[in-house]
Amino acid sequence: MTLSCFTSREQRFAEEGEMAESRCSSRVRLMAFLALLFALFSTGDSVAQVPLLMWSSDGLPALASTAAGHITSKEQLAAYLSSAFKSGPHTVLLFLQDKLSKDDFTVFGGVFGNKQDGAFGNLEAALHSSSSVMFPALEWLDSSAIPALLQEKLGVSPLLVDADTLPHLSINTSASNLLIINLPYCTSFGKSCKEVLHDNDGIIGKVLSVMKDKNVLYTAIYTGLKPSRVISEASLSVHPAGRSLLQAVVPEVKPPIMFNVSGNPCVMLWAQNLNISLTGETAWIDLAAQVPSLTGSTCNSSNSLLVLTYSSGYILSNTLLLISSFAMSQRFYPVSARNWFTLDSVQLQANGQTSSFTGSRNIYAPAEYSFHCQSVTSFRDILLVANKTNPSPLWRLNFIDFQIQGFGLANGTNFSYASDCAGFFTPGIWMGLLTGLLFLWIFVYGLHMIMQLNTMDRFDDPKGPSISVPQSE
Amino acid sequence: MLLECMMNGHAILYTGVTLAFWSTILIVGLCYTIFDLGFRFDVAWFLTETSPFMWANLGIGLAISLSVVGAAWGIYITGSSILGGGVKAPRIKTKNLVSIIFCEAVAIYGIIMAIVISNMAENFSGTTPESIGARNYQAGYSMFGAGLTVGFSNLFCGICVGIVGSGAALADAQNGSLFVKILIVEIFGSAIGLFGVIVAILQVK
Repeated sequence: MTLSCFTSREQRFAEEGEMAESRCSSRVRLMAFLALLFALFSTGDSVAQVPLLMWSSDGLPALASTAAGHITSKEQLAAYLSSAFKSGPHTVLLFLQDKLSKDDFTVFGGVFGNKQDGAFGNLEAALHSSSSVMFPALEWLDSSAIPALLQEKLGVSPLLVDADTLPHLSINTSASNLLIINLPYCTSFGKSCKEVLHDNDGIIGKVLSVMKDKNVLYTAIYTGLKPSRVISEASLSVHPAGRSLLQAVVPEVKPPIMFNVSGNPCVMLWAQNLNISLTGETAWIDLAAQVPSLTGSTCNSSNSLLVLTYSSGYILSNTLLLISSFAMSQRFYPVSARNWFTLDSVQLQANGQTSSFTGSRNIYAPAEYSFHCQSVTSFRDILLVANKTNPSPLWRLNFIDFQIQGFGLANGTNFSYASDCAGFFTPGIWMGLLTGLLFLWIFVYGLHMIMQLNTMDRFDDPKGPSISVPQSE
Repeated sequence: MLLECMMNGHAILYTGVTLAFWSTILIVGLCYTIFDLGFRFDVAWFLTETSPFMWANLGIGLAISLSVVGAAWGIYITGSSILGGGVKAPRIKTKNLVSIIFCEAVAIYGIIMAIVISNMAENFSGTTPESIGARNYQAGYSMFGAGLTVGFSNLFCGICVGIVGSGAALADAQNGSLFVKILIVEIFGSAIGLFGVIVAILQVK
């Protein structure tokens, strides 16, 4: 309903006396805004469009009314012009404004109940008095489309005239004529847009009156060379419809270090960082950033060894080869009646010296699962205990987001369920819970005992004399 | 109708709390079983990760507090009987203070044990179970055990002596010759508190 009111604005030029004004004016602003919004946010491709108004003093074939927003294609216009110009010679006046858009009518046409401010008085009168058709949105591809099309339909070449030269022109009505009147559009300096359009309207009126004086039957077309406003939207293919995450793209996660036996991974290790540093120095070297070779790794049902050899010389200035090895073993523990694996040792070998760390105490998980820990260090919340050596250990380890599995890998390249080093409650929480609940229990017990103390009522005698406490000595 | 079935507000509260407790245990246990996370239920982890200091201090606290509860309960029972009986027979007052003293002895056992145990608590260095060492764990658990031993045995001893003393006071009020015989019963009752003390000392040696 709202959009039909919008198109009826154009039709009001032709159908005067409608009471549509009062009906629509209150909604027209909203509709214009909504239409603008719709045009702005519609996901369709924008096509440049130009309106075309056509009126004739000797009748025009009817034009089937189209849906609002429908963009008339050039073929449709050509078909209509063929049907309009099929019989006999026609004189066609083409008022070609430099730029024209539907919005010019909206802004300057006095459509908000202020008809007296409208800049298209003569145009409206002409549309009203003659039979007229309107193409509110004509597909615009290039400037010369309309003149070329008219030229083709009429079979004559165009003649450029203006309002002053027209009275002196004699028009041969036995042949078709195509007269083009160029009208300017607003520029940023000089007269205001409204004045320019008003002047154009005056030119149209003058030309039409000249034609009337000459008693020439004409068909007039008012259109623009190019649209004055093009609202372009992004095409559908660039921004697909639908929702998408707004956050930054998550970077690709690197795959784990896999040691394959007969095609399938047998030992897998993943860490965000495998930081090592010499004791006493503060610089950390991240082994996970480099690709190691896995020679020397073994994997069978009870022992797995993952040997990572880093052979680049730039790790340390005087290191050619850095070998880190992770040794795991699994066996059956009768008390819990299941197989557990432990990371027995992590060895770091460089320059002929070896540092060894024991992890069997802290790094363990059921054999079917993988072990994961956010922080595996040798110096802070120690999980890897350095073996006692005469000088203190050469290296310090700091593995971040560490996950390892040496047995039970049947699931392709995925880790099994990760048994995490962090449980739900920490030991401190358990201690607090124990003592706290104990206190609570004692308190409740005492409270219960006190609350069941009653005042003795064995010797109460409601009928006897009540106790009297003398006030005076 | 449901309210009539209930005994009183306390019973509702206790029923509710017990129900909540057991259902929590049940559901947590069920989840552990279903998701094959039973390996996470690790009593050994709990016993080695919790600090031995907690256990030692719990033992000390329970030693004195449970003993005092027993003594207080006993004195409360005996005292009210003596006071009541003394209204009609004032002669029982002095003699029956012995019962009160037997009850008080229980509290004294408790405080002595608490001081003895707390003197054995020392600092140790070590943060991991290996570095703490088995001896420290043993010390912590022994102190906890000793505290429990002396605490509970004194608790029941105190109640026992109290009830017997109350009976003695009332019997004495009726018939003065009964008191000495009943005192023997009280001595037996007091001995059990002593047993607890002896065992506790053996535990922390």
